[in-house]
Amino acid sequence: MIPNPLALIAEITHRCPLHCVYCSNPLELAAASSELSTGKWVDIFQQAANLGMLHAHFTGGEPLARPDLAELMAGARAAGLYTNLITSGVGLGEARLQALVDAGLDHIQISFQDSRDEAANWIAGAKAHAHKIELSRIIRRHKIAFTVNLVIHRQNIDHLEEMIAFIEQLAPERMEIAHTQYYGWALKNRAALLPTRAQLEKAVETVTAAQKRLAGQIRIDSVVPDYYARFPKACMGGWGRRLMLINPSGKVLPCHAAEVIPGLEFENVREQSLEFIWQRSSSFQRFRGEAWMPEPCRTCERRAEDFGGCRCQALLLAGNAAATDPACSLAPDHHIVEAAVAQANSGAAVAQPVSASSFTQLEQFAGELWSYRTNPE
Amino acid sequence: MAPPEDSSQPRLATGCRWGGTEQDRMVLFPEGAIRLQGTGLQILERCDGQRTFGQIIEELQAQFSVADPAKVRADISQFLEQLQHKRIVDY
Repeated sequence: MIPNPLALIAEITHRCPLHCVYCSNPLELAAASSELSTGKWVDIFQQAANLGMLHAHFTGGEPLARPDLAELMAGARAAGLYTNLITSGVGLGEARLQALVDAGLDHIQISFQDSRDEAANWIAGAKAHAHKIELSRIIRRHKIAFTVNLVIHRQNIDHLEEMIAFIEQLAPERMEIAHTQYYGWALKNRAALLPTRAQLEKAVETVTAAQKRLAGQIRIDSVVPDYYARFPKACMGGWGRRLMLINPSGKVLPCHAAEVIPGLEFENVREQSLEFIWQRSSSFQRFRGEAWMPEPCRTCERRAEDFGGCRCQALLLAGNAAATDPACSLAPDHHIVEAAVAQANSGAAVAQPVSASSFTQLEQFAGELWSYRTNPE
Repeated sequence: MAPPEDSSQPRLATGCRWGGTEQDRMVLFPEGAIRLQGTGLQILERCDGQRTFGQIIEELQAQFSVADPAKVRADISQFLEQLQHKRIVDY
């Protein structure tokens, strides 16, 4: 018996005004002309709720690039879903936010883009900095939950303490400190983004101190980069176990990077129901459960916790999507990750990042950040 | 932050709300949901922003009259403080 999916990731557009070097979106993007219609999305949200899903996460690209965002939000809310808007905040003002709240927005998550220059800028008080502060004030006038997401990497991790102090002033309920994950542009730029072990250790101390200081005021969720972890992340909570992602053109994916895996065919929600895709599609079944697992996963006592790690990372690093995630210290291909870590710690000069051409948005739904809980013990 | 005081009026935090069905009640929040059953449900149903923490304690002490009242108070206090740290409850 296949359990219900819990959440829908609605990638409503790939359009975005930003160009982040750590963007983990696919390198091949869906064109605006192929985007699903308002009515189709509303139908999808109802299907999602009927399947037992609880949350709709609006992401992109930049979801604000869809002029019908409020209508989509209202459709999701009418279906009974909890609505979450993941945005850069660029271009969001009072009137539009009011319209989104009226339509049923429950939670807004603002991400920070910060190459070293921009980070310096917002700490020093540049335009983006002022906009974030103003937008945060506007958000706090509404009864919606507010999370600030901070993406950290080698270039900005050294001033994490200042960034936390800055975010504190914005008064969110939640702060997510997410290390860059190495997919898409971030993988191409990995040498410039992967922190050193010393940087990471200092960051962990900084986060722990902030969690203690801000307990009861701001909840801080933080994820260690998997390159430095002993075990891999339970990517997406396991393949086809919790989440469905629909891309702007209607393709339904188990995760947003899954299209890189050769040999998989993805159904389109224009042609098949979500229920069929969840229950029956070959793509969702491919890495579901344990039958596909190689050793050492197959007999590993952690197999029901991390599900062998991330299939896309296995493909990108080991060249085989059915391999144990090389981030795992038990993986036959772990030497690949060890080599990248060794390079990051060698002190050798590191190339400047290559910039992505037309999009942004690092999503962070993996592992600890996404957990459904029963009563807390 | 400290545990609730008797005069505190616990409520769901901003952006957190009830969901699920009559038989399967849940509190939805940004990164997930809590399925509530038994005493957890009885406590959170009373966190309506109107009742005080003191009143909630009294009601549940009366309901669980076989239990040690001090233990009931301590359990409820700890439960709410945990949820407050997760930013699901305010008081």
